[in-house]
Amino acid sequence: MSAFHPTSARFKQNAREALANVNIQAAMSTTGSGFVGKRAAARAALPEFDDLRDRARDLKNHVLGHLDLYLEHYEDQVTKAGGHVHWAETAEDARRIVLEICRKAGAKTVNKGKTMISEECGINDYLEENGIQPVETDLGEYIIQLRREAPSHIIAPAIHVTVPEVDALFREKHGHLDKDRPLDHALLLAEARKILREKYFEAEVGITGANMLVAETGQSVIVTNEGNGDLSQSLPRVHIVMASLEKIVPTLEDAANVLRVLARSATGQEMSVYTTFSSGPKRDADPDGPEEYHVVLLDNGRSGMIGTEFQEMLRCIRCGACMNHCPVYQAVGGHAYGWVYPGPMGAVLTPSLIGVEEGGQLPNASTFCGRCESVCPMRIPLPKMMRHWREREFERQLTPGAARFGLGVWRMVAGRRWLYGLASRMGAFGLRVWSRGRARIRKLPLGRGWTDHRDFPTPQGGTFQGQWRAKR
Amino acid sequence: MSARETILARIRRSAKAEGDRAANVRARLSGAAQPLTPRQGQTAGEERTLQFIAKAESVDATVTRLARLDDLPAALAEELRNRNLPAAIRTGEDPAFDRDWGTVERTKGTGRIEEPATLSRAPLAMAETGTLVLASGPENPVTLTFLGETHFVVIRESDIQAGFEDMWAEFRNRGLDPRTVNMVTGPSRSADIGQRLQLGAHGPVALHVFVVGE
Ligand code: SF4
Repeated sequence: MSAFHPTSARFKQNAREALANVNIQAAMSTTGSGFVGKRAAARAALPEFDDLRDRARDLKNHVLGHLDLYLEHYEDQVTKAGGHVHWAETAEDARRIVLEICRKAGAKTVNKGKTMISEECGINDYLEENGIQPVETDLGEYIIQLRREAPSHIIAPAIHVTVPEVDALFREKHGHLDKDRPLDHALLLAEARKILREKYFEAEVGITGANMLVAETGQSVIVTNEGNGDLSQSLPRVHIVMASLEKIVPTLEDAANVLRVLARSATGQEMSVYTTFSSGPKRDADPDGPEEYHVVLLDNGRSGMIGTEFQEMLRCIRCGACMNHCPVYQAVGGHAYGWVYPGPMGAVLTPSLIGVEEGGQLPNASTFCGRCESVCPMRIPLPKMMRHWREREFERQLTPGAARFGLGVWRMVAGRRWLYGLASRMGAFGLRVWSRGRARIRKLPLGRGWTDHRDFPTPQGGTFQGQWRAKR
Repeated sequence: MSARETILARIRRSAKAEGDRAANVRARLSGAAQPLTPRQGQTAGEERTLQFIAKAESVDATVTRLARLDDLPAALAEELRNRNLPAAIRTGEDPAFDRDWGTVERTKGTGRIEEPATLSRAPLAMAETGTLVLASGPENPVTLTFLGETHFVVIRESDIQAGFEDMWAEFRNRGLDPRTVNMVTGPSRSADIGQRLQLGAHGPVALHVFVVGE
């Protein structure tokens, strides 16, 4: 799957395939719980956590209301520090700008720290087509680059890959090493570390992302646990930062507020291991660090979201909590979403960035259980925005015929109280008969889409409306 | 119109805020917003030092307390021995490290591809999260922080701040303007292979902190 060719429009089929894929199911079965428990513990350990979330939300709302002004100030500060800001309206512009900088630097290899914006722009394929070798240095990104896949999670890109798969992959791709060498978790890590360590010293250009851009100081901020982003930006002669323009925060104190909720929401850490603030190229007296510093500022549809019902999505800090807590994501994994951003945040962002024709299926991949919104550190109303997309999809006649018919029937029934009451009583009665007295239904005719993957609870007691009347 | 102009114009048309937008931005950039410092970022005195140590240890760093900087060479020699590391250390130009290293061979310079042990001095730290705050420069080449297999860091007790807010205030106070500010919280790690957390991804496998009294 390449960033140029999203398969989001085939979400249903992707999801069906993912549910039948034993490797994906094996990998996904061990995920969720870890992240969920760790986030809950981190939240419990910080009494001010929810207040900090409110402030993070307000701070980002403030930024979005003044984004043009902050961007101008930010650019001034970068320039003062000796760096360059390049404005890219589209992914294609960003690709062109990056290639130009790499060419000028005479680059043969380019090291990359983890950057979702580079995935969004399809930088790797583009550099390769133009004879430059991109090397992903985040361990997870390295694994999926060798597998020629897109990430399946925004902070754990290789979360879908099992250890035996990594083992086989390294034996195949690291062909110069002894075929029968023993490999386990630790040895796999050591092998990748050694190979990538050499790459750091070879590359002429290093590309990183940015978790934030600080307007006050013109710094870009990256947050990592491995240290790869820092080696990628400190050893090559040229450092390119790829960032989308909503990453702005006004001051260092504002950055601190975001940092206090980011790692806790992502992995349950109080702080990630490395948080690095970079400004400009190395200072005159510095013995190391890059000689050139470029920021590629990507719009790619974001400025068009400001002032619309999707503006709030621009508060997203890419922590991944929404997908860690999403029952749909946990069942189908990230690739089913068919592009760069999976899970609830992807379901809202993808149609904004690549269009409702391509991405309009994703907002349907939700049960509206609301867990994503309840854990989002930026308090983004993800279900509400998915609903906006469903409405737009429906208005534009992009909803499939069967679904439109179903919605029409629903509307007809729900609009007539007597009919609705009759239908729900009959439905509940039918399910009780079918269950033959058991509390859970294993197989449901016409309902296999549900019961193939989980049981259906047998209705207990009267209907909601019946109970409501009795209680009043 | 340039891409810059197009993008800015589009935002200008749609961005909404109460009041004078330019004045709002000026106010915020000059520190008008009162930050919220969590209780755990507000400790003082010995409690602060102990909190820093406990937090650093909770993320797999190891810590030794030294009464004075003069005790560093002996303490470092012992740590190197205990870890089966060669009696050699790589540092930057920091004058704090211009001293008699005894049996330990000290070299100055940037990080090389194989670097068993490196030593830096952090100008600041935060007790809130057990985080060292390093500033790149000739005294502290940034590559030493990431290429050392074992990274040793010296922090003076009086340089340990409570949390982000007093740390940034002190940072501005001292007029620091390095190319990178590197916040380090424990040794490097990754869970990308089979979701099992392992130390020593690309950066150091071990982080040892000397907390120095004076
Ligand atoms: S939408 Fe919220 S929870 Fe999801 S990645 Fe963005 S900030 Fe995190």
